[in-house]
Amino acid sequence: MAPQQLPLDLEYRPALGMADFVIAPGNRDAVAWIDRWPDWPAHALAIHGPKGSGKSHLAHVWQARSQAAFLERAPAEDVPQSVVLDEPQGWPDAALLHLYNRLREAGGHLLIVSETPPARWPVALPDLASRLASIPAVALAAPDDDLLIAVMAKQFADRGLEVNEDVLRYVASRVERSFAAAADIVARIDRAALAQQRKVTLALARDIMASL
Amino acid sequence: MTELNSDSMLNAQWARVRGRLRAEFGEATFRSWLKPLNLAGKRGPDLRVSVPSRFMRDWVATHYADRLKALWSSENPEVRSVEVIVDAHRPVPDLDLDNLDEAANEDTPVSTSPIPATPVRDDDSVESVSAPLDPRLTFENFVVGKSNELAHAAALRVAEADSVPFNPLFLYGGVGLGKTHLMNAIAWHIRTKKPEKKVIYLSAEKFMYQFIRAIRNKNTMSFKELFRSVDILMVDDVQFIIGKDSTQEEFFHTFNALADQNRQVVLSADKSPSDLEGLEERMRSRLGWGLVADIHPTTYELRLGILQSRAEQSGVPIPHKVLEFLAHRISSNVRELEGALTRITAHATLVGHPVTLESAQELLRDLLRANDRRVTIEEIQKRVAEHFNIKLADMQSPRRARQVARPRQIAMFLAKQLTTRSLPEIGRKFGGRDHTTVMHAVKKVEELCTADSGFAEDVDLLRRMLDG
Repeated sequence: MAPQQLPLDLEYRPALGMADFVIAPGNRDAVAWIDRWPDWPAHALAIHGPKGSGKSHLAHVWQARSQAAFLERAPAEDVPQSVVLDEPQGWPDAALLHLYNRLREAGGHLLIVSETPPARWPVALPDLASRLASIPAVALAAPDDDLLIAVMAKQFADRGLEVNEDVLRYVASRVERSFAAAADIVARIDRAALAQQRKVTLALARDIMASL
Repeated sequence: MTELNSDSMLNAQWARVRGRLRAEFGEATFRSWLKPLNLAGKRGPDLRVSVPSRFMRDWVATHYADRLKALWSSENPEVRSVEVIVDAHRPVPDLDLDNLDEAANEDTPVSTSPIPATPVRDDDSVESVSAPLDPRLTFENFVVGKSNELAHAAALRVAEADSVPFNPLFLYGGVGLGKTHLMNAIAWHIRTKKPEKKVIYLSAEKFMYQFIRAIRNKNTMSFKELFRSVDILMVDDVQFIIGKDSTQEEFFHTFNALADQNRQVVLSADKSPSDLEGLEERMRSRLGWGLVADIHPTTYELRLGILQSRAEQSGVPIPHKVLEFLAHRISSNVRELEGALTRITAHATLVGHPVTLESAQELLRDLLRANDRRVTIEEIQKRVAEHFNIKLADMQSPRRARQVARPRQIAMFLAKQLTTRSLPEIGRKFGGRDHTTVMHAVKKVEELCTADSGFAEDVDLLRRMLDG
């Protein structure tokens, strides 16, 4: 989904270019395939990973490059040349199958982003199931501490805040290892710093962590 | 004057202009760009022609407007200007036009862009209806085994025969077993060996789509003409039009017309004609007149054969034991098998590392494991306690004896690696220990893993047991 699902302040807009994407072992392959487009191993690519692991970000990067359309439901007739599907598990099986086939026939491209890999979706139509299982799929892993630190540093920087690494390390080892959790804690710290007119220090971070 | 501008006169003039355009620009250009022009009307000295899309308008206006105007003026001296307009209500004759329209949305100015690689195809050509063939799906690339030899032999016979050996050839079998491959192979073979033959290969869904479009555009005559003029008609996955009554009806007539003229029809479905539910009886019996060839699920040997052949083509060296592993584990169908191999070869090319059994397993986790449920700290504690033969309670106990402390550290290490829990949370689950204790445990296990390969193997074994 769009990054707005993360509880961010209205003033704050995450930068969604590839340059803003923090590359780490857990997402290197996915980034590489997005970079390589249209040199893909097949006409479709699936990127899957937990909430907040960067799926939307990569989908938007690719969308900007390929001029793909984000589709919410099957087009009645004419299929765009490139399509992004974000969690299309609610689609009727046949609609998804025919979109897949038509993009393949037309030489188009399809990017699917989802939490669970398409090969695992409960699909009743065997034709669709086998296609979903044959799509090259890359996983986005939950971030490790170093990545979490890098991501939080970027998010603080996006908000114009400079934060000491001790603070980042302190927070990273205490939050759940997901980008969503990291984004959430950054927002909380930013809000508190603003409200209390304090600098982002270890003491402030400790107060926020204690209040969770 | 009025006579010069009556509808019939204008139409006659337009026909002559079109004839001149065709002669001047040649058949290909005419068909791509000029034939789709419609006479939209004339008001005083201004004549208007319409095209179905913005892109075409820009293209025609840039490239042919001068000639259009000159030719019109010579036919009808009153005409001073010719305007090209977009008629949004006019049905777009071909899917390709839509793709061209996409191109029009790009920033490149149309006037400087080269002629698109795929020009607008004629509405009623075999090429525009037939699905593009996949160059990999040839007879040469089809790996034959016991499960598919009948279907393969029949397909080859149809491709090579000068007269129709059996009509229809009906291929059926589960998904991803090679029906589409055989149909593509027939088309390729005929296209190379007998290029004069008209072949249409398309999915049943596209057949339906074309038919609906023809009905809507009141164009069913040309639809019928097109499909009844081919030498070989191949329709993939006919189960998708069963129950779609008028499409099925039209399909039946098409089939009969072709069969009567002794033209070849090849069909595929996921079931045999007798098992296709909802199929009309007359159709069922007619389909059974030809040869019905089934494709069985693959054997291990065939899967291995397919993998070896594909791996060779990819040029990426893949250890034999990886191929054996895939042939063993991915038995459902060939599409998934090839998809798995594609993923492995593509990844190897991407990262430049050699393929190993471990890397292959890691890459195919989503295919190989039934689910990706995250392991919990409790499961880790239980499995590690069992492995080292200590009591589960020792995971929480304050005992510091080496034989319980070391497994506990391993469990903490695995909890950090395999779950998304934070250090303080992990500490809590291990008898309320401090997060620094967890951090220490992680560091300690990492050190021991580097120093002692036996220890590292033990930890890795546990990790794999827990992680699938």
